[in-house]
Amino acid sequence: MTSLDIAVLSVRRVRRRSLRPLRTLALRRFRLTASTPRELVVPLLTPIMFALIIAPSLKTALHTGAAYEAFVAIGTVGLLIPLNTMFAGLGVIVDRVSGAQRELLTAPISRGLLVVGNLLVALAITGLQIAVLLAVSVVRGIHFEATAIGAVWFVAAAALFTIGMYGMAEILASRVPRQEEYIARVPAIAILPWFLAGALFPITALPHFLTWVAKFLPLTHALALMRYGLLDDSTGLHAIWGLSDRAAMAALSLAVVAGFALLLIATSIRVFSRSAVR
Amino acid sequence: MDLAIEAIQLEKTYPGGVEAVKRIDFHVEAGEVFALLGPNGAGKSTTVGMLTTTIVPTGGTARLAGFDVAAKPLGARAVSSVVFQEPVVDSALTGRQNLELHASLWRVKPHEAKARIEGLAETLGLAEIVGRSVRSYSGGERRRLEIARALLSHPRVLFLDEPTVGLDPRIRAELLDVIAGLRDRSELTVLLTTHYLDEAERLCDRIAIMHRGRIVALDTPEALLAGLGHELVELRVDGSAESALASLRERGVAGEDAFAVGSRLTVPLHDRSSQQTIAAVHELGLARAISAREPTLDDVYLRLTGDSLAEAA
Repeated sequence: MTSLDIAVLSVRRVRRRSLRPLRTLALRRFRLTASTPRELVVPLLTPIMFALIIAPSLKTALHTGAAYEAFVAIGTVGLLIPLNTMFAGLGVIVDRVSGAQRELLTAPISRGLLVVGNLLVALAITGLQIAVLLAVSVVRGIHFEATAIGAVWFVAAAALFTIGMYGMAEILASRVPRQEEYIARVPAIAILPWFLAGALFPITALPHFLTWVAKFLPLTHALALMRYGLLDDSTGLHAIWGLSDRAAMAALSLAVVAGFALLLIATSIRVFSRSAVR
Repeated sequence: MDLAIEAIQLEKTYPGGVEAVKRIDFHVEAGEVFALLGPNGAGKSTTVGMLTTTIVPTGGTARLAGFDVAAKPLGARAVSSVVFQEPVVDSALTGRQNLELHASLWRVKPHEAKARIEGLAETLGLAEIVGRSVRSYSGGERRRLEIARALLSHPRVLFLDEPTVGLDPRIRAELLDVIAGLRDRSELTVLLTTHYLDEAERLCDRIAIMHRGRIVALDTPEALLAGLGHELVELRVDGSAESALASLRERGVAGEDAFAVGSRLTVPLHDRSSQQTIAAVHELGLARAISAREPTLDDVYLRLTGDSLAEAA
């Protein structure tokens, strides 16, 4: 056996060692989530209502075109992701209060894996819910202009924003002792930015000061990217960056969302690992 | 000597200055069943927390099977399992799913895990219910499931943190039989925390008595009891127990190890006879009630700390 073979075997062994517990933790979280189906359904209700009832009503009331319904359908993804990830964060508090977290903390695994295991399930469930939302929108007659590359932009933006928001939920769950206090903070984190981030109207329609605030919100970048990917609409990106190169603006916004995801998830692992022990 | 647990000058001071554990030293040999005995707040659970890496020590060192809990926590966690004071199971999952989860996290190979789950379910009387949701389990069944789970990974060190607290007497007796059965596993070292004297006396090779964060005595149950002799006299006095004790010492009826707590006075007899002692007490007119009996660990605890263990708990 050459030294290269030994190195490859070592890498495989390390990967297998991390992957098995990670799969186990994700399976546990998935089973717990599936045992309470409301966790899957409740976060879907508000966005679907927006996409299917409020957007068409606004279109009629404001005499806008079909494009507005598609605009709002993507905007509702920006509500679905924070709501779903914040609901997922509740599981961390339930684990802590029920004591189940103590057993996991004595397992011979890195404590960061506990966060990553939960994140994988939050990602999967959010992905499923976005797919349902888009499918329902299509059935309702909303038209998306998606290409393969556009779908990649959309998925990358949605996935990274979900990772960042889940990181936020984990941090909050680690810092807040009780579910009631956690729930009380959800509107400020999940809903308030949504009103400013260009979900229902372009950020340029906001007062000048708030337009500047919106440019710093990761959700603004995520929504602009998702519209660029699924509607071939770069006006959101242009409102942020003011450049003429669409791909460059998309890359910049993706970097912002990726930075947000990386920062929040790394912080959440650190906060969880420190707060879980006394 | 093969040490399973070592604690050297181990201490924990919580933020705010609460000194929960104050520089304790003890070791547990491989295969030994060891108890930390003391009331709530004595520092037992904090000690277990430090040994299981869920509480960070503020001083000293602790090792499990040679793994330093601070420097090599993954190694320490890999060789140990814990049964916590409160039920710690995923109620929404079945018993089997809880067991599989533990086996996988402790890296038991899947085919081995399957065989071990079947074996432990059979041994601990869970075979009929292991496929059911844990929500439907009684308190005793949950406890047995937790013990099965802790044994799945064949730990070298098993921590049982107040395992019988809150259980009704029947389930508690049933569980004590299960724990007593663990003594047959010669490869297993058990550290049990409890404030029940009978548990410590029945199950353990050695006992460390903890009081306000310190170990105040550490020996076999027999040696701890032997310190008080084979019999003692207990009396209740109307006036000051301290002055009654001084009178008894002056008359040579009580030795230096006699002690008073509240209105109760306890006199170890050693080579004196109970009849002589009781007669001497009556002669002095000190007692309103008097009795002779064998010493218990509660007397040992009372003498060392000035508190009754049962009352303090």
